[in-house]
Amino acid sequence: MNNSTFEKHRILLVEDEENLAIGLQYNLTEEGYIVELAKDGREALKHFETKKIDLIILDIMIPYIDGFEIARRVRKKDPQMPILMLTARTTREDKVKGLELGADDYITKPFHLDELLLRIKGMLKRKTWYKDVTSGKPLVGFGKNKINFENLSCSNGKNDFNLTPQEAMVMKYLIENKGKIVSRKELLENVWHLNPDIETRTVDNFIARLRKYFEVDPSKPVYIKSVRSAGYMFED
Amino acid sequence: MKRRHFFFYHVVIFIIAQIAWLSLIGLWIYWYVYNYIVYKEVGDHVSPEISFDITNAGPFVIGLVLLVGLSLITIWIFRHLNVQLRLTKLYDTFISNVTHELKSPLSSIQLSLETLKTRDVPREKQKEFVGMMIKDVNRLTRLINSILQIPALEQKKFAYSYQIYSAGSVIKQILNDSIEQFRLPLETVNIEENAICEFVIDIDGLKTVFDNLIDNAVKYSLQPVKINVNISCTTQKVVIEFNDNGIGIAPKELKKVFNKFHRVYHQNIPNVKGTGLGLYQVKEIIKNHGGKIYIFSEGDGKGTTFKIELPIYQVFKKRFLTNLLKRSEQKKQLEIINE
Repeated sequence: MNNSTFEKHRILLVEDEENLAIGLQYNLTEEGYIVELAKDGREALKHFETKKIDLIILDIMIPYIDGFEIARRVRKKDPQMPILMLTARTTREDKVKGLELGADDYITKPFHLDELLLRIKGMLKRKTWYKDVTSGKPLVGFGKNKINFENLSCSNGKNDFNLTPQEAMVMKYLIENKGKIVSRKELLENVWHLNPDIETRTVDNFIARLRKYFEVDPSKPVYIKSVRSAGYMFED
Repeated sequence: MKRRHFFFYHVVIFIIAQIAWLSLIGLWIYWYVYNYIVYKEVGDHVSPEISFDITNAGPFVIGLVLLVGLSLITIWIFRHLNVQLRLTKLYDTFISNVTHELKSPLSSIQLSLETLKTRDVPREKQKEFVGMMIKDVNRLTRLINSILQIPALEQKKFAYSYQIYSAGSVIKQILNDSIEQFRLPLETVNIEENAICEFVIDIDGLKTVFDNLIDNAVKYSLQPVKINVNISCTTQKVVIEFNDNGIGIAPKELKKVFNKFHRVYHQNIPNVKGTGLGLYQVKEIIKNHGGKIYIFSEGDGKGTTFKIELPIYQVFKKRFLTNLLKRSEQKKQLEIINE
């Protein structure tokens, strides 16, 4: 399982369940990551502000400042920071809230170690991939919408806002494949770097959010269209 | 969705009831005024023998009965609705808390097992993982037992093993066991004991009481926890005062803390884990022992004091002893049969 490529990646693990934190710390260290452990929200922010962090694994129900608030504050300071929410809360509302506040991925307890490690690798890989693909043509416009893929800033004619790295990557992939049908499977494999059997609902959640940003009427999308039982298609 | 339908259903009934009784009053007034005018204007010409002085109380009485009936129905529906909504909310919170409390140790066990299965873990680390799994299994067992205990406690069917103990020494022993279990430094708990009297208790029941009080003191404290326990005897009862230096409880919350599923939210310590059953369980256990529990707090940051009163043996004997010892005996017999 060791991979020298990730040796220098520093992961901030925010988990207040002592045993789980010890187990995760051991496994992540074995994988070659440097792990910074925070047992509550205050410690998490302190680590984030004082250390160079490459990825955050974040529990939601933690003392002092909850995971949602941490995600919001982190995202404000560093829009490109990959955040993986790891939580026992499984309601759809929690998941949507987590993703809306800027988590890139969401994994529920109890989880499989392999799946967690794969997702972490995927997220770190995406971070590098994103830097590569956006270096060529960072500015894109369609309709009244404008996206700057370099700093993730956007405008839809009415509001200015920022995309999360994950949202930006989905958008980038769809735009690069303009006029072609992109399946959920393809998105999961190429953007999430995940086995598509894991969860196709994640893709749908992201598409719904992108439509909210860029479509005048998200229920009747003009740019990000659904193709029945096939996937999605971007049209300018 | 179901909850929305449920709410919608009650609101519709309420609106219909309001329309019904308002219409009734409207019709009633209209009918009365209309008849009065008609009789006044034409009554004399048509039938001079009709006397207007005679008041017909029938419609008034029926109207009033209907009005009172409708009002009572409306009040009943709304009380019912509020109780249901409150219970649904509490139930949702409980399920969410229990889910969290179940999933966390379960995740930890799964992670430990998968780690041991997939990695070449050194012997010392293996022991650590096994130790963590045992701790998590114990945590799950305690949680499941506390949930299963509640209906038995409420229906007074819980199988206690009541015995006579010397109050001071046994409470001290229970507290020391709890301190060890919570791995608290010995100086955390200061016990002052001057209780040379006997009482009848189930030792496991009383251990659950002190475990819950200590657990709460630890969880609801921003600084290192400090607990003072004072045990004394009067002619009637054993009095235990359990005081901590935690965040305290707001006056409006004091009455609710013993309610089932109730959780205290404090902005300085959000996300405190628990099920909302601990203090409810404490109250039920004390009640089943013929005792009483009170809570005092001067508010934020002022700590909390629980005062427990349990009847001493001489008082206890008259009221409960025969019955309780009989139950304990039945429990022992059942255990022998099961073995």
